[in-house]
Amino acid sequence: MHNETRAGLAFLHRVFRQRQGWYWGAWGLLALTWIAGIALLALSGWFITATALAGAGLLATLDLYVPSGGIRTAAISRTLARYFERLVSHEAVLRSLADLRGRSFRGLAALPMERIRAYRSGDLQTRLTGDIDTLDAMPLRVAGPMIAAALSLTTTLIIALWLAPWPAAAVLAGSGVATLAVSLLLALAGQRRSHALVQARVRERVGLFDYIGGLAELLAYDRAREHEASLRRENADYAGRQRAQEAFSVASEQIVQGLVGASALLMLVLALGWYRDGILTAPVAVLLPLMTLGLGEVLGSLPGAWWRAGESLEAAGRVQHLETTATQARPPAELLDPLPRDAALALHARGLTIGFRRERPLLGPLDIAPARGRPLVISGASGRGKSTLLDTLAGELPPLTGTVSLGEAKLNAIATDGRYRHISYLPQGLQLPDTTLRAILNPSQTALNDAALWEALERVDLAASVRGTDEGLDYRIGEGGSYLSGGQRRRLALAAVVLQDRPVVLLDEPFTGLDTATQQRVIERLQPWLQDRQCILVTHAPEQLPASWPHLDLAMPLARN
Amino acid sequence: MTEPATTDTHATGERASPGQWLHTRQQPHRRWLVLSAASTLVATLATIALAGLVAWAVHGTLFAADAPYLPGILLGGLVLLALRYSAQALRDLAGHRLAFAVKQQLRADLLRQARHTGPTRLAGQTTAGAWAEQFQTRVDDLTGYYARYLPARQAVILTPLAILVAALWLDWLAALLLLLAAPLIPAFMAIVGMGAEQIHRRQQEEENRLAGHFLDRIRTLDWLRRARAIAATEAEVVERSHQQRRLTMRTLRVAFLSSAIMEFFSAVAIGMVAIYIGFALFGAIDYGPAGDITLFTGLFILLLAPEYFLPLRQFAQSYHDRAGALAAAQTLAPALASPSDPMDPAEASAPADEDAAAPWLQLEGVTVHYPGQRTPALADLDLAVHAGAHLALTGPSGSGKSTLLAVCAGFLPPATGTIRRHPMARHFAWIDQDAHLFHGSLRENLQLARRDTIPDAEMASALQQAGLPLEAPELPDGLDTAIGEAQHGLSGGQAQRVAVARALLSGHRLWLLDEPTSALDPDTEQALLDTLFQLADVRGLTLVIASHHAAIHQRCPQRLELAPATPEAHHA
Repeated sequence: MHNETRAGLAFLHRVFRQRQGWYWGAWGLLALTWIAGIALLALSGWFITATALAGAGLLATLDLYVPSGGIRTAAISRTLARYFERLVSHEAVLRSLADLRGRSFRGLAALPMERIRAYRSGDLQTRLTGDIDTLDAMPLRVAGPMIAAALSLTTTLIIALWLAPWPAAAVLAGSGVATLAVSLLLALAGQRRSHALVQARVRERVGLFDYIGGLAELLAYDRAREHEASLRRENADYAGRQRAQEAFSVASEQIVQGLVGASALLMLVLALGWYRDGILTAPVAVLLPLMTLGLGEVLGSLPGAWWRAGESLEAAGRVQHLETTATQARPPAELLDPLPRDAALALHARGLTIGFRRERPLLGPLDIAPARGRPLVISGASGRGKSTLLDTLAGELPPLTGTVSLGEAKLNAIATDGRYRHISYLPQGLQLPDTTLRAILNPSQTALNDAALWEALERVDLAASVRGTDEGLDYRIGEGGSYLSGGQRRRLALAAVVLQDRPVVLLDEPFTGLDTATQQRVIERLQPWLQDRQCILVTHAPEQLPASWPHLDLAMPLARN
Repeated sequence: MTEPATTDTHATGERASPGQWLHTRQQPHRRWLVLSAASTLVATLATIALAGLVAWAVHGTLFAADAPYLPGILLGGLVLLALRYSAQALRDLAGHRLAFAVKQQLRADLLRQARHTGPTRLAGQTTAGAWAEQFQTRVDDLTGYYARYLPARQAVILTPLAILVAALWLDWLAALLLLLAAPLIPAFMAIVGMGAEQIHRRQQEEENRLAGHFLDRIRTLDWLRRARAIAATEAEVVERSHQQRRLTMRTLRVAFLSSAIMEFFSAVAIGMVAIYIGFALFGAIDYGPAGDITLFTGLFILLLAPEYFLPLRQFAQSYHDRAGALAAAQTLAPALASPSDPMDPAEASAPADEDAAAPWLQLEGVTVHYPGQRTPALADLDLAVHAGAHLALTGPSGSGKSTLLAVCAGFLPPATGTIRRHPMARHFAWIDQDAHLFHGSLRENLQLARRDTIPDAEMASALQQAGLPLEAPELPDGLDTAIGEAQHGLSGGQAQRVAVARALLSGHRLWLLDEPTSALDPDTEQALLDTLFQLADVRGLTLVIASHHAAIHQRCPQRLELAPATPEAHHA
């Protein structure tokens, strides 16, 4: 637990340190806002009392203009400090959010494929967007108030020590310590179940997905009412616990305010006593309790700060977990970079069995070594593991036994990016980013010119349809490529593969959704490009591919070729 | 738990403004608002008494002949403090209770509404993800409105008013001074309201767009990685965030001005009041009521001035809660307002014929309209499905195959016409193009078919018959294999087989299938159809299949060809 907290704090420190100038600015301005507020109240009390005494002839001389100038300065600097504090803190947070998004994207991208897929979609959504937003509470609503409160409290302590006997400072310090302790205790008590609450929320989301997604089945089998009632029950339970937590937060807020009020009262009684004993002047005796009262705004922010600290730390733990798993999962960086591109880096598999569990291999053992320019066609009934085979050959799934190698190097010893320098893989379930055709065809924004992009589109018989749009290469394909038909999507991906220009090409059902004539045209135009590449192509309709290409039918008894 | 009444939300839902809708939803629970108003009043009165006590203590100590008894003041002050802060806690808790009650009822309504709307119409309105988002996040967006904004709105009227009245009673001069500051309050409220909502909405949209972009790139990580576009995409993600930052800051610089003006007025008001009182006490000014001011008045006003402006500041802070709630109401109100004819197969049908030879399903003159569409999805259709029939509903897309099947299932009530159901057709099995696998084990998914506990052996045999034997490599843990959202290891065809096994276990003999093979490749399709029709023969099932696949048409002796809707006939 303590280690986790420390690790979470260290992570937050790393993230927010990048923008520390902005944060210190925001914290300083917050402290200034608060101190100006306290000064405004305390000085006003002092001024009124002093003028009353002077008016009654009990005070010989009084300079009216310096203190009233001080009051005006406090009022105006409070306003300005507040305005700029809000601007600076938002600027800081938005900058950190950009950092965090980049960071967590990098972290996610470094996770191995199967790990990402294991994240349930709903969970991932909550995790990333929610957690990243929760994190920014740390510098602004936790660290900021604590630091600014410490600064404000110190200022009042110094003033109290300077003006009055030590018990005045003791009251101030005591109220600071008491509020800190009370709010911390209450936050801890309230937060104990917050982890469970987050979990319950994720579970509820799964239940809701099932209710809506499976509504037809639930209605058909007459289970909808039951499912509905159980969702309602769960929600009532969740909401009840949430309410208990809210009660804790309400209580801590009011208790802290009450404590500050009580301290101010105590200070008033003490100060009036000192005045009677002739230790203090009357204006100072009024200034002290009002200064204490002014701390209400400052100390009142502490319960919220503790409260959010817990949430932020948990979120930090989750986001950080993402980063650490990513770094751990990274294979030893044995990059292929130094190897020249046209070196004899042939893909070959030996004694390969594939599947998800050692006890239940899907397929194998197999030896595969396709020759350049002679695409290997693999067919077989669904469920025989065609797609799993390609995943394994692309290095995205470890083989159960045997090896897949690229030249001399074992595939799973090569860093992901290095692997994709040599292998193009077009899998069956394809999700294209919502961006322009140009960005999809030329994702790394290298020196490909438009002519090259058009040529690739021509090869997959898509150029005519793209010319038909107003935007041309700047056409956006929509979320999940929804502005394109299924066949267009696959051909676009194929064109991107062509432009990737890598020596090994793995294609899973590249021609689904194409009519026979288009398919023939595309194959014809691709053939010259395939000439100097190794290609493996999985299909359910091998008869539509050139008969000259070697063919491996997984439905046949497996022979080691 | 009884089903909560939907009250009059249906009547007002679609036409009412979001603000009215929020108001309607709080009506049944207004007692919490009464409680919060009462607590606000008590807290304010305690505050006033406290300020009076303190001012009197100081004044008395400085000027009175017999000085006040200090421990008594401390004790009295503590009692007032306790009263004030417990009343405030009560007010906050009442607000939370109100939010809780409204949200509970809303969620119950949403759940029931989904069931009443049925899968067919629901699919036309929303996705499961969007619906879940609505249920969880949008409903939670209302919390601030009920828990903070409404109580703050009460306080912004009640507290200054109470302070004025009490001050008038104690010291007319103090009341006059405070009253002079009062006209600022409506002006402040106008400033707060100005554009806050629009700014909030614009910013929200911008944030959603950014979050959407980020999620899209995460979902397509596989592609980006294979395209070696990770670094470029990371830069894009960061750049988009900075773009949004620049845009947001531009609006915020203006938006914060309005609250700065408010801060300025409340700070300056305190300062000015103090300076005025000071100069008056000193005798430096003699206009206005200055001559009558005492130290008691001065301190009393000084202590109450912050309290006088505090509700206003809290109101301003909670104003964005209102904006968020209005935005949420805009999406929630329509979700609850769409027509909701109770959707229950057993109830929605006309009395059935008990005659054994009667058709299982008989539709006469059935017409179905989708809201907002000019042409009916089905027009004046007659259909009889007899026991043991294998009926294919065919036709081009948009001709109403799935609509007709949904009518047969009772998911969609016809606008006109009657449906007669044979007692044997009251219950049916349903398989659509992507079988929904519920989160959980395979066993839990199969158990859904019936209420009584299904023995493992029966499940195994159903799976065997459905062509997914337990020995399949995709089911490493047998019946305990976790399936569900992620569909670990199960292909589309295998998921359909789980649905077939589930249908078998239900024991129902009418099977309604909506495009059961359209997500499958041709080989898998043939294999699944072999299984399906073999089972139909052995078990004597009645099949109604909506599909445009020739492979299905070939196997069905009966076919109903639906013509596409003809919009021409309706255009004048």
